[in-house]
Amino acid sequence: MASKKKRFNPYKLANKALLYIIITSVAFTILLPVFFLVSLSFLTTRDSYKFPLPLLPSLTSDYKLEYGERGYLLSIFDKAEEDYATVMDTEDLEKMSIYMEARLGTPTTIEEIEEQIARLETRNIVYFTKKIDLLHNFKAFFLITNDAFPALVRSLQICVLTILISLSIGGMAGYAFARYSFAGRDALKFSVLFVRMFPGIAIALPMVVILIRIGFYDNPIGLALVYSIGSIALTVWITASIFMGIPVTLEEAAQVFGATKMQTFIRITFPLALPGLAAAAMYAFLGAWNETVAAIVLTQFNPTFSVVVYQSLVGAVGQVNLAAAGGIVMAVPTVIFTFIIRRYINQMWGGMSV
Amino acid sequence: MAVMRIKKVRNLGQKAAPYLLILPVVIYYLFFWAQPVVKSFVDSFTDAYGHFTFNNYVMVLTDANFLPALRNTTLIVIASVALEFLAALFLALLINRKFPGSSIFLFLAMIPMALPSVAVGAMWKTGLTTNGWLNSFLHYVEIFSGSEKIYWLAGSEWVMLALIIIIDAWQVIPSIMIILLAGLQNIPPESEEAGYVFGGDYLTVLRKITLPLLKPTIQTAVVMRLIAAIQIWLIIVVMLGFTRLPVLVERIVYFHKEVPGLDISSQMASGYTIIVTIIVSVTALIYLKISGSSGPKKKEG
Repeated sequence: MASKKKRFNPYKLANKALLYIIITSVAFTILLPVFFLVSLSFLTTRDSYKFPLPLLPSLTSDYKLEYGERGYLLSIFDKAEEDYATVMDTEDLEKMSIYMEARLGTPTTIEEIEEQIARLETRNIVYFTKKIDLLHNFKAFFLITNDAFPALVRSLQICVLTILISLSIGGMAGYAFARYSFAGRDALKFSVLFVRMFPGIAIALPMVVILIRIGFYDNPIGLALVYSIGSIALTVWITASIFMGIPVTLEEAAQVFGATKMQTFIRITFPLALPGLAAAAMYAFLGAWNETVAAIVLTQFNPTFSVVVYQSLVGAVGQVNLAAAGGIVMAVPTVIFTFIIRRYINQMWGGMSV
Repeated sequence: MAVMRIKKVRNLGQKAAPYLLILPVVIYYLFFWAQPVVKSFVDSFTDAYGHFTFNNYVMVLTDANFLPALRNTTLIVIASVALEFLAALFLALLINRKFPGSSIFLFLAMIPMALPSVAVGAMWKTGLTTNGWLNSFLHYVEIFSGSEKIYWLAGSEWVMLALIIIIDAWQVIPSIMIILLAGLQNIPPESEEAGYVFGGDYLTVLRKITLPLLKPTIQTAVVMRLIAAIQIWLIIVVMLGFTRLPVLVERIVYFHKEVPGLDISSQMASGYTIIVTIIVSVTALIYLKISGSSGPKKKEG
């Protein structure tokens, strides 16, 4: 650090090597579980019960069909064992078709099996290859898990409602904080922060009775109302800093040219604030989409998607590949939105004293 | 006259404008925040027949799982704040420079915190089962041979606690590291250089210049972490089920959702709720007091 000359410097080199070793190992540790979760969500049920688990899902399966003792003997090529493994011996082609789809991830109609059987007439063994439907776990998760699809719809409704409530109510207050100084401003700001830090469960539990009274218990609107509490606080915070970043002189200039306050806001301030407002909306989405504990407390027959995934995980997990698929469906939107608003997240922590 | 009056109304409008703008938030919070908070406080002093009682607290405090829950929560909080924080600070100080691929690395580090808690639950549940991916991975890198396996979820209470803390660390360390990195990058390089010019070594500069300048960031990160760590429960229930490793919030969900029929359930749940509320609120208040809620700072320079 002391010398700035460009000369071979073993200390500097070691330093750089150390940096890369650390970065690589941190990245590896972060990615390893993510990699396995993603990989697992594409594995066929048969593969997901193997030990060790295959690192990557296969794209195709090689089958062998021959006459068996009870009917037709179906074997699948096992890449780890490098040999065919018998999976079933049956005459029931419907059963075989269902098994090939549900356990082996290769949707195969009875007619297709019959075609292969027809080829058996002329030879003893028939080999054929089927494509694995990579999305079969995701389809199965929604088919098998009771209520998964309606729950997904409910979760999205809750997210939209939360965004609308918190952006309208919170955005107005954020504008007030940014543009006016008024008595009680600091006290109000303090309480908004305090609400933000308040434990969600402490609101959710007493909310059961309140929501039952106003008819929104076990209902997306009720949950959106609860999620908006924390989300409004955050929105006030974010929008205040956004509006502060827009120079008042711009608004004043517009008014000099005869625009009313409302026109100024709609024509000048709002478009400039739009990217920041979008970030605030995504924050509200993330909060509402991820939340689980209030959703567990405040729903009974109409759970949110996160509750459905939670329920599929508690206790003995039925099929790990389906659980992984559920987890991935939960994770995809959050990772995308986090990627979009990553700059704001860094700003929030770095440039702002909360 | 008319002009004067209009002017007066306008002035009044100007004065009222901020209050009109914040009014919806105030009403919303009175109805959906203050009301449930007061209600939950009142509930915690009410018995099943609506009479005043201290019995709920007595029941909670004498509950066989209360002390373990308090202990586990405390240990998780301490580990979370001390261990994870020091590790993150160490990493942030090491990485604090631009390097090729740093933006990709920073995004990677955001992923664990971006993941919903149920997705993290799915990740580690599928990982730590006996035939899960962690044992498979150890098998692939040949730490294990044949069908050797570790029964991760069958260990003692302390092993479980350690596992939960490690999972939490996986999720939290990268994000605290990012927060601290952002803070470090806001420190003007001149201030540290000045320290070296005056003959300070790395540790002195770190202790006397870097860390004090980083203090607001550290405070925020630590308190946010504290508040989140007090409320950890989902990963524990997903991994171990209820009651095996009791923590405070897990008790609330347990009494509210798992054994709702018992006539003590709702009292227990509300008693535990108040305890969690008080712990979190005190933490938040102390922090807000220390940091002086100055609001979003105007951009410097």
